[in-house]
Amino acid sequence: MSQNSCIELHNVSKSYKDLLALNNISFIIEKGDIFGYIGPNGAGKTTTIKILVGLIPNYKGEVYVNGISVSNFKDLHKIVGYHPQEVGFQEWRTVNQALTTFGRLSGVSKGNLENRIYDVLKFTELEDVRYKKIKHLSGGMIQKLRLCQALLHEPEILVLDEPLSGLDPSIRYQIKGLIKSLAKSGKTILFSSHILSDVQDIANVIGILHKGKILKIGSPDELQSDFRIGNMIRIEVAKNTLLYQDLENIAEVEKVENLASNIQLVHLSSDINLNSTVNQILKLLLENDCKIRNFSIVKPSLEEVYLSYVGGELK
Amino acid sequence: MTFLLLFFDELRGYIKSKVMIILWFGMPALAILIRFLYQQADVEDPLITISIGLIISSIGSTLSSVMLSTSIVSEKNHNVYELFLVRPVKRWYFLLAKFFAVYLCLVIAVFISYLAMLILEAFDVGVTVDDFIEVLESMLILMAFMAVSCSMGIFFGVLVPSVAAAAILSVYLGNQLSSIIFLLPLFIDFGKPVVVTPIIGYSVTTIIMLLNIFIFNRKQF
Repeated sequence: MSQNSCIELHNVSKSYKDLLALNNISFIIEKGDIFGYIGPNGAGKTTTIKILVGLIPNYKGEVYVNGISVSNFKDLHKIVGYHPQEVGFQEWRTVNQALTTFGRLSGVSKGNLENRIYDVLKFTELEDVRYKKIKHLSGGMIQKLRLCQALLHEPEILVLDEPLSGLDPSIRYQIKGLIKSLAKSGKTILFSSHILSDVQDIANVIGILHKGKILKIGSPDELQSDFRIGNMIRIEVAKNTLLYQDLENIAEVEKVENLASNIQLVHLSSDINLNSTVNQILKLLLENDCKIRNFSIVKPSLEEVYLSYVGGELK
Repeated sequence: MTFLLLFFDELRGYIKSKVMIILWFGMPALAILIRFLYQQADVEDPLITISIGLIISSIGSTLSSVMLSTSIVSEKNHNVYELFLVRPVKRWYFLLAKFFAVYLCLVIAVFISYLAMLILEAFDVGVTVDDFIEVLESMLILMAFMAVSCSMGIFFGVLVPSVAAAAILSVYLGNQLSSIIFLLPLFIDFGKPVVVTPIIGYSVTTIIMLLNIFIFNRKQF
Protein backbone atom coordinates (compact mmCIF):
# COMPACT_ATOMS: atom_id res chain seq x y z
CA MET A 1 0.00 0.00 0.00
CA SER A 2 1.45 3.34 -1.04
CA GLN A 3 2.19 5.82 1.76
CA ASN A 4 0.51 8.69 -0.04
CA SER A 5 -2.41 6.80 -1.50
CA CYS A 6 -5.91 7.86 -0.62
CA ILE A 7 -8.10 5.53 -2.65
CA GLU A 8 -6.99 2.11 -3.87
CA LEU A 9 -8.90 -0.39 -5.95
CA HIS A 10 -7.35 -3.81 -6.48
CA ASN A 11 -8.80 -6.30 -8.99
CA VAL A 12 -12.36 -5.11 -8.46
CA SER A 13 -15.08 -6.94 -10.39
CA LYS A 14 -18.84 -6.62 -10.19
CA SER A 15 -21.56 -8.46 -12.10
CA TYR A 16 -25.28 -7.80 -12.38
CA LYS A 17 -26.75 -11.20 -13.26
CA ASP A 18 -25.18 -11.91 -16.67
CA LEU A 19 -23.67 -8.46 -17.15
CA LEU A 20 -20.06 -7.93 -16.10
CA ALA A 21 -20.10 -4.27 -15.07
CA LEU A 22 -16.52 -4.11 -13.78
CA ASN A 23 -13.82 -6.47 -14.96
CA ASN A 24 -10.85 -6.68 -12.63
CA ILE A 25 -10.11 -2.97 -12.40
CA SER A 26 -7.29 -1.53 -10.31
CA PHE A 27 -6.12 2.02 -9.75
CA ILE A 28 -4.69 4.25 -7.06
CA ILE A 29 -5.58 7.86 -6.33
CA GLU A 30 -3.00 9.80 -4.37
CA LYS A 31 -3.87 12.36 -1.70
CA GLY A 32 -4.71 15.72 -3.28
CA ASP A 33 -5.28 14.28 -6.76
CA ILE A 34 -8.20 15.29 -8.94
CA PHE A 35 -9.03 12.08 -10.70
CA GLY A 36 -11.22 12.43 -13.79
CA TYR A 37 -13.01 9.19 -14.53
CA ILE A 38 -14.24 9.03 -18.13
CA GLY A 39 -15.93 6.39 -20.21
CA PRO A 40 -19.01 5.82 -22.33
CA ASN A 41 -22.44 5.23 -20.77
CA GLY A 42 -22.59 1.81 -19.16
CA ALA A 43 -18.80 1.59 -18.89
CA GLY A 44 -19.04 1.02 -15.12
CA LYS A 45 -18.19 4.47 -13.74
CA THR A 46 -21.21 4.72 -11.44
CA THR A 47 -20.74 1.12 -10.29
CA THR A 48 -17.14 1.91 -9.31
CA ILE A 49 -18.26 5.03 -7.46
CA LYS A 50 -21.07 3.23 -5.64
CA ILE A 51 -18.65 0.52 -4.51
CA LEU A 52 -16.27 3.19 -3.30
CA VAL A 53 -18.88 4.97 -1.17
CA GLY A 54 -20.25 1.71 0.22
CA LEU A 55 -23.57 1.60 -1.65
CA ILE A 56 -22.72 -1.69 -3.35
CA PRO A 57 -21.47 -4.15 -0.77
CA ASN A 58 -21.20 -7.28 -2.94
CA TYR A 59 -18.20 -7.15 -5.24
CA LYS A 60 -14.96 -9.00 -5.83
CA GLY A 61 -11.59 -7.48 -5.05
CA GLU A 62 -10.34 -4.96 -2.51
CA VAL A 63 -11.19 -1.28 -2.12
CA TYR A 64 -9.31 0.85 0.39
CA VAL A 65 -9.88 4.41 1.51
CA ASN A 66 -7.06 5.84 3.61
CA GLY A 67 -5.74 2.31 3.97
CA ILE A 68 -8.95 0.88 5.41
CA SER A 69 -11.11 -1.57 3.48
CA VAL A 70 -14.47 0.10 2.70
CA SER A 71 -16.32 -3.10 3.60
CA ASN A 72 -15.16 -2.70 7.23
CA PHE A 73 -14.97 1.10 7.36
CA LYS A 74 -17.65 2.25 9.79
CA ASP A 75 -16.70 5.92 9.58
CA LEU A 76 -16.37 6.04 5.80
CA HIS A 77 -19.21 8.58 5.62
CA LYS A 78 -17.22 10.98 7.80
CA ILE A 79 -14.27 11.29 5.41
CA VAL A 80 -16.08 10.86 2.08
CA GLY A 81 -18.53 13.33 0.58
CA TYR A 82 -20.68 11.78 -2.15
CA HIS A 83 -22.38 13.67 -4.95
CA PRO A 84 -24.67 11.19 -6.71
CA GLN A 85 -25.81 11.31 -10.30
CA GLU A 86 -29.50 12.07 -10.87
CA VAL A 87 -30.52 11.64 -7.27
CA GLY A 88 -33.61 13.40 -6.09
CA PHE A 89 -34.45 15.01 -2.80
CA GLN A 90 -37.75 14.68 -0.96
CA GLU A 91 -39.41 17.66 -2.54
CA TRP A 92 -41.55 18.66 0.42
CA ARG A 93 -38.36 19.69 2.22
CA THR A 94 -36.84 23.12 2.09
CA VAL A 95 -33.14 23.43 1.29
CA ASN A 96 -32.49 24.14 4.97
CA GLN A 97 -34.45 21.09 6.14
CA ALA A 98 -32.65 18.79 3.70
CA LEU A 99 -29.22 20.06 4.70
CA THR A 100 -30.11 19.89 8.41
CA THR A 101 -31.08 16.23 8.08
CA PHE A 102 -28.04 15.28 6.01
CA GLY A 103 -25.76 17.28 8.29
CA ARG A 104 -27.07 15.54 11.41
CA LEU A 105 -26.82 12.13 9.73
CA SER A 106 -23.24 12.92 8.70
CA GLY A 107 -22.33 13.63 12.30
CA VAL A 108 -22.18 17.44 12.23
CA SER A 109 -22.90 18.68 15.75
CA LYS A 110 -26.11 20.64 16.34
CA GLY A 111 -24.17 23.73 17.42
CA ASN A 112 -22.00 23.76 14.31
CA LEU A 113 -24.70 22.84 11.82
CA GLU A 114 -26.17 26.32 11.31
CA ASN A 115 -22.75 27.72 10.39
CA ARG A 116 -21.89 24.82 8.14
CA ILE A 117 -25.16 25.17 6.24
CA TYR A 118 -24.52 28.88 5.83
CA ASP A 119 -20.94 28.22 4.67
CA VAL A 120 -21.81 25.62 2.03
CA LEU A 121 -24.74 27.66 0.72
CA LYS A 122 -22.53 30.71 0.48
CA PHE A 123 -19.81 28.70 -1.24
CA THR A 124 -22.28 27.52 -3.88
CA GLU A 125 -24.14 30.84 -4.01
CA LEU A 126 -27.41 29.32 -2.83
CA GLU A 127 -27.91 31.51 0.27
CA ASP A 128 -31.01 33.11 -1.23
CA VAL A 129 -32.89 29.83 -1.56
CA ARG A 130 -32.12 28.49 1.91
CA TYR A 131 -35.77 28.48 2.99
CA LYS A 132 -37.26 27.64 -0.41
CA LYS A 133 -38.84 24.27 -1.10
CA ILE A 134 -36.65 21.99 -3.18
CA LYS A 135 -39.44 21.50 -5.73
CA HIS A 136 -39.09 25.17 -6.65
CA LEU A 137 -35.36 24.97 -7.46
CA SER A 138 -33.91 24.84 -10.98
CA GLY A 139 -31.83 21.90 -12.24
CA GLY A 140 -28.60 23.84 -11.72
CA MET A 141 -29.56 24.74 -8.16
CA ILE A 142 -30.36 21.10 -7.38
CA GLN A 143 -26.97 20.09 -8.75
CA LYS A 144 -25.38 22.65 -6.43
CA LEU A 145 -27.49 21.35 -3.55
CA ARG A 146 -26.10 17.87 -4.22
CA LEU A 147 -22.64 19.36 -3.87
CA CYS A 148 -23.68 21.19 -0.68
CA GLN A 149 -24.81 18.03 1.08
CA ALA A 150 -21.54 16.35 0.13
CA LEU A 151 -19.52 19.20 1.65
CA LEU A 152 -21.47 19.72 4.89
CA HIS A 153 -19.27 17.55 7.08
CA GLU A 154 -16.01 18.84 5.55
CA PRO A 155 -14.88 15.49 4.12
CA GLU A 156 -11.29 15.05 2.97
CA ILE A 157 -12.36 13.00 -0.07
CA LEU A 158 -15.04 14.01 -2.56
CA VAL A 159 -16.61 11.49 -4.91
CA LEU A 160 -18.63 13.27 -7.57
CA ASP A 161 -20.68 11.27 -10.04
CA GLU A 162 -21.32 13.36 -13.17
CA PRO A 163 -21.38 16.70 -11.34
CA LEU A 164 -21.41 18.65 -14.62
CA SER A 165 -23.92 16.75 -16.70
CA GLY A 166 -27.13 18.33 -17.92
CA LEU A 167 -26.14 21.86 -16.93
CA ASP A 168 -26.11 25.01 -18.99
CA PRO A 169 -22.64 26.41 -19.77
CA SER A 170 -22.71 29.14 -17.11
CA ILE A 171 -23.65 26.80 -14.25
CA ARG A 172 -21.11 24.25 -15.56
CA TYR A 173 -18.44 26.90 -15.52
CA GLN A 174 -19.46 27.86 -11.97
CA ILE A 175 -19.39 24.27 -10.69
CA LYS A 176 -16.05 23.65 -12.41
CA GLY A 177 -14.72 26.65 -10.51
CA LEU A 178 -16.10 25.24 -7.25
CA ILE A 179 -14.43 21.87 -7.86
CA LYS A 180 -11.14 23.58 -8.66
CA SER A 181 -11.29 25.66 -5.47
CA LEU A 182 -12.09 22.54 -3.44
CA ALA A 183 -9.05 20.86 -4.96
CA LYS A 184 -6.92 23.86 -4.03
CA SER A 185 -8.07 23.47 -0.42
CA GLY A 186 -6.37 20.06 -0.43
CA LYS A 187 -9.29 17.70 -0.95
CA THR A 188 -8.85 14.52 -2.94
CA ILE A 189 -11.47 14.44 -5.68
CA LEU A 190 -12.72 11.67 -7.89
CA PHE A 191 -15.23 12.81 -10.46
CA SER A 192 -16.80 11.15 -13.45
CA SER A 193 -17.82 13.00 -16.55
CA HIS A 194 -18.70 12.63 -20.19
CA ILE A 195 -17.54 16.10 -21.01
CA LEU A 196 -13.93 15.66 -22.03
CA SER A 197 -13.02 19.32 -22.07
CA ASP A 198 -14.18 19.57 -18.45
CA VAL A 199 -12.08 16.57 -17.47
CA GLN A 200 -9.10 18.11 -19.23
CA ASP A 201 -9.70 21.43 -17.44
CA ILE A 202 -10.05 20.03 -13.94
CA ALA A 203 -8.28 16.69 -13.58
CA ASN A 204 -4.60 16.10 -13.01
CA VAL A 205 -5.06 12.34 -13.46
CA ILE A 206 -7.44 10.74 -15.93
CA GLY A 207 -8.72 7.18 -15.98
CA ILE A 208 -10.41 5.87 -19.11
CA LEU A 209 -12.93 3.11 -18.47
CA HIS A 210 -14.53 1.09 -21.22
CA LYS A 211 -16.78 -1.96 -20.95
CA GLY A 212 -15.80 -2.44 -17.32
CA LYS A 213 -12.05 -2.29 -17.96
CA ILE A 214 -9.54 0.46 -17.25
CA LEU A 215 -7.90 1.21 -20.58
CA LYS A 216 -5.49 3.92 -19.52
CA ILE A 217 -4.56 6.02 -16.50
CA GLY A 218 -2.30 9.03 -16.60
CA SER A 219 -2.07 12.79 -16.57
CA PRO A 220 -3.66 14.60 -19.53
CA ASP A 221 -0.15 15.29 -20.91
CA GLU A 222 0.88 11.65 -20.58
CA LEU A 223 -2.25 10.49 -22.34
CA GLN A 224 -1.68 12.92 -25.17
CA SER A 225 2.03 12.23 -25.59
CA ASP A 226 1.47 8.47 -25.51
CA PHE A 227 -0.90 8.92 -28.38
CA ARG A 228 1.37 9.00 -31.41
CA ILE A 229 -1.02 8.37 -34.28
CA GLY A 230 -2.35 11.86 -34.64
CA ASN A 231 0.95 13.81 -34.47
CA MET A 232 0.71 16.91 -36.59
CA ILE A 233 2.77 20.02 -37.23
CA ARG A 234 1.18 23.39 -37.80
CA ILE A 235 3.18 25.77 -39.99
CA GLU A 236 2.31 29.42 -40.38
CA VAL A 237 4.21 31.72 -42.69
CA ALA A 238 4.09 35.47 -43.07
CA LYS A 239 1.07 36.82 -44.92
CA ASN A 240 1.42 37.34 -48.67
CA THR A 241 4.23 34.80 -48.87
CA LEU A 242 3.98 31.41 -50.45
CA LEU A 243 3.63 28.14 -48.57
CA TYR A 244 6.12 25.43 -49.41
CA GLN A 245 4.16 22.80 -51.34
CA ASP A 246 6.62 19.89 -51.54
CA LEU A 247 6.57 18.68 -47.93
CA GLU A 248 4.74 15.56 -49.00
CA ASN A 249 7.98 14.39 -50.59
CA ILE A 250 9.34 13.72 -47.11
CA ALA A 251 8.85 10.02 -46.37
CA GLU A 252 7.52 10.58 -42.82
CA VAL A 253 4.83 13.01 -43.99
CA GLU A 254 1.48 11.39 -44.69
CA LYS A 255 -0.37 14.40 -46.06
CA VAL A 256 -0.40 18.18 -45.99
CA GLU A 257 -3.56 20.20 -45.45
CA ASN A 258 -3.73 23.87 -46.42
CA LEU A 259 -5.86 25.46 -43.69
CA ALA A 260 -5.45 29.02 -44.99
CA SER A 261 -3.36 30.80 -47.59
CA ASN A 262 -0.54 31.05 -45.04
CA ILE A 263 -1.24 28.08 -42.71
CA GLN A 264 -0.74 24.39 -43.34
CA LEU A 265 -1.16 21.29 -41.23
CA VAL A 266 1.35 18.49 -41.78
CA HIS A 267 0.15 15.01 -40.79
CA LEU A 268 3.00 12.69 -39.80
CA SER A 269 3.08 8.91 -40.01
CA SER A 270 3.01 6.90 -36.80
CA ASP A 271 6.16 5.37 -35.34
CA ILE A 272 8.55 7.98 -36.65
CA ASN A 273 11.48 9.73 -35.01
CA LEU A 274 9.78 13.02 -34.32
CA ASN A 275 13.02 14.97 -33.72
CA SER A 276 14.64 14.05 -37.03
CA THR A 277 11.41 14.62 -38.96
CA VAL A 278 10.96 18.07 -37.43
CA ASN A 279 14.58 18.93 -38.27
CA GLN A 280 14.10 17.73 -41.82
CA ILE A 281 10.95 19.82 -42.31
CA LEU A 282 12.50 22.93 -40.77
CA LYS A 283 15.62 22.56 -42.90
CA LEU A 284 13.56 22.26 -46.05
CA LEU A 285 11.49 25.32 -45.19
CA LEU A 286 14.54 27.43 -44.38
CA GLU A 287 16.37 26.32 -47.50
CA ASN A 288 13.38 27.45 -49.53
CA ASP A 289 13.33 30.82 -47.80
CA CYS A 290 9.90 30.41 -46.18
CA LYS A 291 9.20 33.25 -43.77
CA ILE A 292 8.10 31.13 -40.81
CA ARG A 293 5.99 32.88 -38.21
CA ASN A 294 4.82 29.89 -36.25
CA PHE A 295 5.96 26.26 -36.15
CA SER A 296 4.30 24.02 -33.57
CA ILE A 297 3.68 20.37 -32.91
CA VAL A 298 -0.05 19.84 -32.55
CA LYS A 299 -0.88 17.32 -29.89
CA PRO A 300 -4.05 15.29 -30.29
CA SER A 301 -6.98 16.59 -28.25
CA LEU A 302 -8.12 14.56 -25.28
CA GLU A 303 -11.20 13.78 -27.31
CA GLU A 304 -9.08 12.13 -30.00
CA VAL A 305 -7.14 10.19 -27.36
CA TYR A 306 -10.37 9.09 -25.73
CA LEU A 307 -11.98 8.07 -29.01
CA SER A 308 -8.92 6.08 -30.01
CA TYR A 309 -9.14 4.12 -26.76
CA VAL A 310 -12.86 3.47 -26.73
CA GLY A 311 -13.11 2.83 -30.44
CA GLY A 312 -15.18 5.85 -31.38
CA GLU A 313 -17.95 5.29 -28.86
CA LEU A 314 -18.44 8.74 -27.42
CA LYS A 315 -21.12 8.46 -24.69
CA MET B 1 -30.99 8.82 17.45
CA THR B 2 -30.89 8.31 13.67
CA PHE B 3 -34.25 6.56 13.70
CA LEU B 4 -35.86 9.34 15.74
CA LEU B 5 -34.39 11.93 13.40
CA LEU B 6 -35.92 10.17 10.39
CA PHE B 7 -39.22 9.63 12.22
CA PHE B 8 -39.63 13.30 13.14
CA ASP B 9 -38.54 14.28 9.63
CA GLU B 10 -41.18 12.06 8.07
CA LEU B 11 -43.76 13.23 10.58
CA ARG B 12 -43.03 16.85 9.71
CA GLY B 13 -43.37 16.03 6.02
CA TYR B 14 -46.64 14.16 6.37
CA ILE B 15 -48.21 16.69 8.74
CA LYS B 16 -47.70 19.36 6.09
CA SER B 17 -48.98 17.17 3.25
CA LYS B 18 -52.38 17.77 1.67
CA VAL B 19 -53.56 14.25 2.52
CA MET B 20 -52.99 14.86 6.23
CA ILE B 21 -54.84 18.15 6.09
CA ILE B 22 -57.75 16.25 4.52
CA LEU B 23 -57.52 13.60 7.24
CA TRP B 24 -57.33 16.00 10.15
CA PHE B 25 -59.98 18.43 9.00
CA GLY B 26 -61.90 16.50 6.39
CA MET B 27 -62.52 13.35 8.42
CA PRO B 28 -64.09 15.06 11.45
CA ALA B 29 -66.15 17.21 9.07
CA LEU B 30 -67.26 14.08 7.21
CA ALA B 31 -68.12 12.34 10.47
CA ILE B 32 -70.27 15.28 11.55
CA LEU B 33 -71.93 15.39 8.13
CA ILE B 34 -72.77 11.67 8.13
CA ARG B 35 -74.14 11.99 11.65
CA PHE B 36 -76.29 14.91 10.54
CA LEU B 37 -77.60 12.89 7.55
CA TYR B 38 -78.40 9.93 9.83
CA GLN B 39 -80.43 12.24 12.03
CA GLN B 40 -82.22 13.80 9.06
CA ALA B 41 -83.11 10.34 7.75
CA ASP B 42 -84.27 9.40 11.23
CA VAL B 43 -82.20 6.22 11.22
CA GLU B 44 -82.34 4.27 14.47
CA ASP B 45 -78.79 3.09 15.09
CA PRO B 46 -77.65 2.61 18.67
CA LEU B 47 -74.06 2.32 17.44
CA ILE B 48 -74.15 5.41 15.25
CA THR B 49 -70.79 6.71 16.52
CA ILE B 50 -69.11 3.36 15.91
CA SER B 51 -70.64 2.98 12.44
CA ILE B 52 -69.46 6.42 11.42
CA GLY B 53 -66.06 5.69 12.94
CA LEU B 54 -65.80 2.60 10.79
CA ILE B 55 -66.61 4.55 7.62
CA ILE B 56 -64.17 7.35 8.26
CA SER B 57 -61.35 5.10 9.46
CA SER B 58 -61.78 3.03 6.31
CA ILE B 59 -61.48 6.16 4.16
CA GLY B 60 -58.54 7.39 6.23
CA SER B 61 -56.75 4.04 6.03
CA THR B 62 -57.16 3.92 2.27
CA LEU B 63 -55.79 7.45 1.85
CA SER B 64 -52.86 6.74 4.17
CA SER B 65 -52.09 3.46 2.47
CA VAL B 66 -52.10 5.16 -0.96
CA MET B 67 -49.94 7.99 0.35
CA LEU B 68 -47.41 5.54 1.81
CA SER B 69 -47.20 3.31 -1.25
CA THR B 70 -46.94 6.15 -3.77
CA SER B 71 -44.38 8.12 -1.74
CA ILE B 72 -42.14 5.05 -1.40
CA VAL B 73 -42.36 4.23 -5.12
CA SER B 74 -41.67 7.84 -6.04
CA GLU B 75 -38.68 8.03 -3.68
CA LYS B 76 -37.35 4.74 -5.03
CA ASN B 77 -37.68 5.96 -8.61
CA HIS B 78 -35.95 9.25 -7.82
CA ASN B 79 -33.11 7.48 -5.96
CA VAL B 80 -33.86 9.52 -2.85
CA TYR B 81 -32.50 6.78 -0.58
CA GLU B 82 -28.93 6.93 -1.95
CA LEU B 83 -28.09 10.09 -0.05
CA PHE B 84 -29.29 8.50 3.18
CA LEU B 85 -27.66 5.13 2.65
CA VAL B 86 -24.15 6.57 2.27
CA ARG B 87 -24.64 7.76 5.81
CA PRO B 88 -25.10 5.49 8.84
CA VAL B 89 -28.78 4.84 8.18
CA LYS B 90 -30.22 1.34 8.24
CA ARG B 91 -32.71 0.61 5.48
CA TRP B 92 -35.42 -0.53 7.86
CA TYR B 93 -35.31 2.87 9.60
CA PHE B 94 -37.01 4.39 6.54
CA LEU B 95 -39.87 1.94 6.55
CA LEU B 96 -40.49 2.08 10.28
CA ALA B 97 -40.15 5.89 10.34
CA LYS B 98 -42.72 6.17 7.54
CA PHE B 99 -45.04 3.63 9.12
CA PHE B 100 -45.08 5.22 12.57
CA ALA B 101 -45.31 8.78 11.19
CA VAL B 102 -48.35 8.03 9.02
CA TYR B 103 -49.95 5.71 11.57
CA LEU B 104 -49.65 8.35 14.27
CA CYS B 105 -51.22 10.99 12.00
CA LEU B 106 -54.03 8.61 11.12
CA VAL B 107 -54.74 7.68 14.74
CA ILE B 108 -54.85 11.37 15.65
CA ALA B 109 -57.28 12.02 12.77
CA VAL B 110 -59.60 9.21 13.87
CA PHE B 111 -59.35 10.37 17.47
CA ILE B 112 -60.37 13.91 16.49
CA SER B 113 -63.32 12.54 14.49
CA TYR B 114 -64.50 10.38 17.39
CA LEU B 115 -64.09 13.26 19.79
CA ALA B 116 -66.17 15.53 17.56
CA MET B 117 -68.93 12.95 17.37
CA LEU B 118 -68.85 12.26 21.11
CA ILE B 119 -69.18 15.96 21.83
CA LEU B 120 -72.17 16.21 19.49
CA GLU B 121 -73.66 13.07 21.03
CA ALA B 122 -73.20 14.49 24.51
CA PHE B 123 -75.05 17.68 23.57
CA ASP B 124 -77.72 15.74 21.72
CA VAL B 125 -78.70 12.75 23.88
CA GLY B 126 -75.92 12.52 26.44
CA VAL B 127 -73.06 10.01 26.73
CA THR B 128 -72.97 7.31 29.40
CA VAL B 129 -69.83 5.57 30.67
CA ASP B 130 -70.88 2.44 28.77
CA ASP B 131 -71.19 4.44 25.56
CA PHE B 132 -67.76 5.88 26.14
CA ILE B 133 -66.23 2.42 26.74
CA GLU B 134 -67.93 1.11 23.63
CA VAL B 135 -66.47 3.91 21.54
CA LEU B 136 -63.03 3.33 23.07
CA GLU B 137 -63.22 -0.37 22.24
CA SER B 138 -64.21 0.33 18.67
CA MET B 139 -61.28 2.74 18.40
CA LEU B 140 -58.88 0.04 19.60
CA ILE B 141 -60.21 -2.36 16.97
CA LEU B 142 -60.01 0.28 14.24
CA MET B 143 -56.45 1.15 15.22
CA ALA B 144 -55.39 -2.44 14.53
CA PHE B 145 -57.19 -2.32 11.19
CA MET B 146 -55.43 0.94 10.32
CA ALA B 147 -52.03 -0.56 11.25
CA VAL B 148 -52.59 -3.45 8.82
CA SER B 149 -53.70 -1.02 6.14
CA CYS B 150 -50.57 1.15 6.57
CA SER B 151 -48.27 -1.87 6.46
CA MET B 152 -50.02 -3.02 3.27
CA GLY B 153 -49.40 0.42 1.76
CA ILE B 154 -45.69 0.05 2.52
CA PHE B 155 -45.75 -3.47 1.08
CA PHE B 156 -47.05 -2.24 -2.29
CA GLY B 157 -44.66 0.70 -2.22
CA VAL B 158 -41.67 -1.54 -1.69
CA LEU B 159 -42.78 -4.17 -4.19
CA VAL B 160 -44.24 -2.25 -7.13
CA PRO B 161 -42.18 -0.06 -9.50
CA SER B 162 -45.00 2.20 -10.74
CA VAL B 163 -46.78 4.91 -8.75
CA ALA B 164 -50.12 4.26 -10.47
CA ALA B 165 -49.96 0.50 -9.83
CA ALA B 166 -49.05 1.09 -6.18
CA ALA B 167 -52.03 3.45 -5.75
CA ILE B 168 -54.48 1.05 -7.42
CA LEU B 169 -53.25 -1.95 -5.44
CA SER B 170 -53.44 0.02 -2.18
CA VAL B 171 -57.02 1.09 -2.85
CA TYR B 172 -58.44 -2.16 -4.16
CA LEU B 173 -56.32 -4.87 -2.58
CA GLY B 174 -54.78 -3.32 0.52
CA ASN B 175 -57.99 -2.03 1.95
CA GLN B 176 -59.92 -5.25 1.26
CA LEU B 177 -57.24 -7.44 2.82
CA SER B 178 -57.06 -5.18 5.87
CA SER B 179 -60.83 -5.45 6.25
CA ILE B 180 -60.58 -9.25 6.47
CA ILE B 181 -58.59 -8.86 9.68
CA PHE B 182 -61.18 -6.46 11.01
CA LEU B 183 -64.11 -8.67 10.11
CA LEU B 184 -62.55 -11.99 11.16
CA PRO B 185 -63.86 -11.98 14.77
CA LEU B 186 -67.39 -11.38 13.48
CA PHE B 187 -67.37 -14.73 11.69
CA ILE B 188 -65.22 -16.87 13.95
CA ASP B 189 -65.70 -16.85 17.68
CA PHE B 190 -62.17 -16.35 18.98
CA GLY B 191 -63.16 -14.40 22.05
CA LYS B 192 -63.78 -10.72 22.76
CA PRO B 193 -63.22 -8.73 19.52
CA VAL B 194 -61.64 -5.87 21.49
CA VAL B 195 -58.87 -8.25 22.55
CA VAL B 196 -58.66 -10.61 19.58
CA THR B 197 -58.79 -8.10 16.73
CA PRO B 198 -55.87 -5.97 17.98
CA ILE B 199 -53.81 -9.11 18.66
CA ILE B 200 -54.46 -10.43 15.15
CA GLY B 201 -54.11 -6.98 13.58
CA TYR B 202 -50.81 -6.08 15.19
CA SER B 203 -49.41 -9.59 14.61
CA VAL B 204 -50.29 -9.37 10.91
CA THR B 205 -48.83 -5.84 10.80
CA THR B 206 -45.58 -7.11 12.33
CA ILE B 207 -45.34 -9.97 9.81
CA ILE B 208 -46.04 -7.66 6.85
CA MET B 209 -43.50 -5.10 8.11
CA LEU B 210 -40.85 -7.83 8.50
CA LEU B 211 -41.59 -8.92 4.94
CA ASN B 212 -41.35 -5.30 3.79
CA ILE B 213 -37.95 -4.93 5.46
CA PHE B 214 -36.74 -8.18 3.91
CA ILE B 215 -37.75 -7.05 0.41
CA PHE B 216 -36.40 -3.51 0.91
CA ASN B 217 -33.05 -4.82 2.13
CA ARG B 218 -32.63 -6.78 -1.09
CA LYS B 219 -33.22 -3.76 -3.32
CA GLN B 220 -30.25 -2.29 -5.16
CA PHE B 221 -30.09 1.51 -4.90
